[in-house]
Amino acid sequence: MMSDIFTYIIGGKAGEGVKKAGEAAANLFSDMGRKTFKMDDYQSLIRGGHNFSAVSTSIDDIYSHYMKADLVVNLDDRSYNIHKDHVKKDGMMIYNSGNTEKGEGIGLPLDEVSGNYSKSDLIKGVTGIAVLSAVVGLEKDEIENLIEKEYSKGVEENLSFAKEIYDLAEEKIDKRFTLEEGNDKSPIFSGNEALSLGAASAGLDMYVGYPMTPASSILHFFASHKKDLQIMPIHPENEISVANIAVGATMPGARVMVGSSGGGLALMEETISLAGMTESPVLFVLASRPGPSTGVPTYTEQGDLNFALNQGHGEFPLVVASPGSMEEAFYLAGEMLDILWKYQTPGIFLTEKHLSESSMNIDVDPARVEWAEPKKFEGDGEYKRYEMKDDGVSPLKFPPSEDVIKWNSYESDEKGITTEDPEKITDMHDKRREKKENLILDIQARNTVNKFGDSGPVIFTYGSTTMSVREAVKAGKIEAKIVQPKYLKPFPFWELEDYMEENAIVIEQSSTGQFASLLREKCNIVPKTVIRKYDGRPFEPIKLAEKIKEAI
Amino acid sequence: MAEDLGTGAENTWCPGCGNFGILNTMKNVVEKLEEDGIGREKLLISAGIGCHAKIFDYLNLSGLYSIHGREIATIQGMKFANPDLKVIGFGGDGDAYGEGLSHLIFAAKRNADITMIVHNNSSYSLTTGQMSPTSEKGYKGPSTPEGSIEEPLNPLMLMLSSGASFVSRGYAGKIEHLTDLIVEAVEHEGFSLVDVLQPCVVFHDDQYQKYNEAVEILEEPAETRYEAMELTEETERLPIGVFYKEEKPVYHEEIYPDLNVVEDKMSKDERKKQIEKILEERT
Repeated sequence: MMSDIFTYIIGGKAGEGVKKAGEAAANLFSDMGRKTFKMDDYQSLIRGGHNFSAVSTSIDDIYSHYMKADLVVNLDDRSYNIHKDHVKKDGMMIYNSGNTEKGEGIGLPLDEVSGNYSKSDLIKGVTGIAVLSAVVGLEKDEIENLIEKEYSKGVEENLSFAKEIYDLAEEKIDKRFTLEEGNDKSPIFSGNEALSLGAASAGLDMYVGYPMTPASSILHFFASHKKDLQIMPIHPENEISVANIAVGATMPGARVMVGSSGGGLALMEETISLAGMTESPVLFVLASRPGPSTGVPTYTEQGDLNFALNQGHGEFPLVVASPGSMEEAFYLAGEMLDILWKYQTPGIFLTEKHLSESSMNIDVDPARVEWAEPKKFEGDGEYKRYEMKDDGVSPLKFPPSEDVIKWNSYESDEKGITTEDPEKITDMHDKRREKKENLILDIQARNTVNKFGDSGPVIFTYGSTTMSVREAVKAGKIEAKIVQPKYLKPFPFWELEDYMEENAIVIEQSSTGQFASLLREKCNIVPKTVIRKYDGRPFEPIKLAEKIKEAI
Repeated sequence: MAEDLGTGAENTWCPGCGNFGILNTMKNVVEKLEEDGIGREKLLISAGIGCHAKIFDYLNLSGLYSIHGREIATIQGMKFANPDLKVIGFGGDGDAYGEGLSHLIFAAKRNADITMIVHNNSSYSLTTGQMSPTSEKGYKGPSTPEGSIEEPLNPLMLMLSSGASFVSRGYAGKIEHLTDLIVEAVEHEGFSLVDVLQPCVVFHDDQYQKYNEAVEILEEPAETRYEAMELTEETERLPIGVFYKEEKPVYHEEIYPDLNVVEDKMSKDERKKQIEKILEERT
């Protein structure tokens, strides 16, 4: 059987190696030269509950997982009950006959087999790769390489278990899926990893973070690459410290990025304003999850758009942008770091759990990323930190220096000495406004809006939802023009003039339609339909395609 | 005294304010540090918000005028970015022992190589004299007209129990002693705290007299942390000097023993190679 898009779902308890099983499958497909998208669905707990990983693969580019699978592997009965409707008509269902009664599909005695191994829970996840190997027709000896690569810890036990399961599956499965090999190999990265690599490509020196899902894996990434990338990873006592360490570090010239989710960014807001006033270029990553408050920590939502756009008390230039794919996360993080250093102001890289923690193949070139460099002081006269310049950008000088360099949270004179003088207050406001205008001109010259498709109705979307919309349009064979503003502040109205038609559709993951409101406010675009989803789960391409068709 | 350490900014402290003693001390400190080979170009300062913080505008040294309580995090960022620099933070009792207390505890815990000088006047003076974390029980301010109902914090005890590697107290009325103390604190490798008894002539008009009578110079630091803790409990006499000092591994050196991410920054080409390697490993 040949399948254009092949989808594999593995589900089980936390602690049974489900996430790893998804990763191993994604790597297997990628090694075949195929394109892969992986989405991990997990709960806020350590052991038990229900986790699953959905991996879809195609020869062509693929921007989302699907929830109708060719192969579903369930490690426990809860998983079986949840996923029994997720099998395609001609798909295959594997369940654990050790704990699932009356299962439809093929039962394998996973409990019995795993009971003979030292890590009887964790090893169950290896079932995924063993069954998948059998189903896609890999030879038994090919498993050896796979296990060595993916399950190097306790490789002997893992291999022995995999072979046992492979033999049992071989006996019972009644069909095989043939996956065509592609010839275009590219690495798989999560959005968080991709944005980290992008910022690293722009010359990042330090990452500061306090754990909060779904941003924590950025901190983990930099901690694990401390030696090779030489980017200092710091995990301090709270988000307030995170943000202030970052601002402090920019003063001697370190390129710094920080990250958190909504609650953490709320704690950093005081410091975003400080960065605006001191003119400190810190890049803040906001990886959203459903709110308000603690909300639903391990799921996805776009409810923080207005929060991001309105960060910081007082008036200062703020840049907000959001990537529509893992690849774009790479380039955008680098581009933002560069822009922030050119204009010495804070910026927010807005994304969501669905992009942060899902993974897909990326094809990126670090050489295409600008190395973030500020305008430096090169004169031989007196150095003034906030010197008036036509473009509003005062040249930077870093300590150690014979010149005195004073950055100030108070309104100050050009030398950075606190002031309450009305003229100086006005001048400094004008300087920051001038800087903002030049920043907007700079951004206008860049690619700020992505457009996919040439005909059909206009669909506006942004952030991680872009991936769902692109895949839905493909899956539903829908003719549409997808318009995705990458920059949200300044909002690229200049690119949207051609799309102000009446039949537009807006698709976003917010219950109140914040993005639709933004389009109306900035461009007077009043959409015909706003397709919203706010159950914490990303859109599923086939279901979204149906909704788009209804709206058209 | 180094005259060129002034900025020409108008000084707006009240006449007789204890902060003048600290400002004059700092000018001496810079001179002494320069004699010891630490040039002023290598010094970075920060301050919180309050009367104390105006010292930022009055000292002609580089730095970042931070926000309330956050100067403790600001100077850590400066130090981690470029460990060749010596960083000094000025805070009030409201900054260091109130709003920014968590930063102070954790800076001590991780032995960040910073110096915090706390202008401790037991009052929120710039905001019209409300009670502070170190105000005595019964202190009357606009938010506690019937007298504070809270016991004051013992900040030195708190620092000792947080693992601080240099804990000291000075007095703004004893400039020579305070100068030596701050020089020692700055030269100490690791976290150092100098709690400075800083009389507020408006909201605590008895402080000069009280401190002049009670302060007593410690000849040497306590031998153990516990003995130092006992010293912090003394209220009849007020010991000033180094309460406790020890050598411990320094935070930034535990992350990168000899890498300065700003001064020894990896080249663009080398970074590109490293990133390509990571991409390659996943392919």
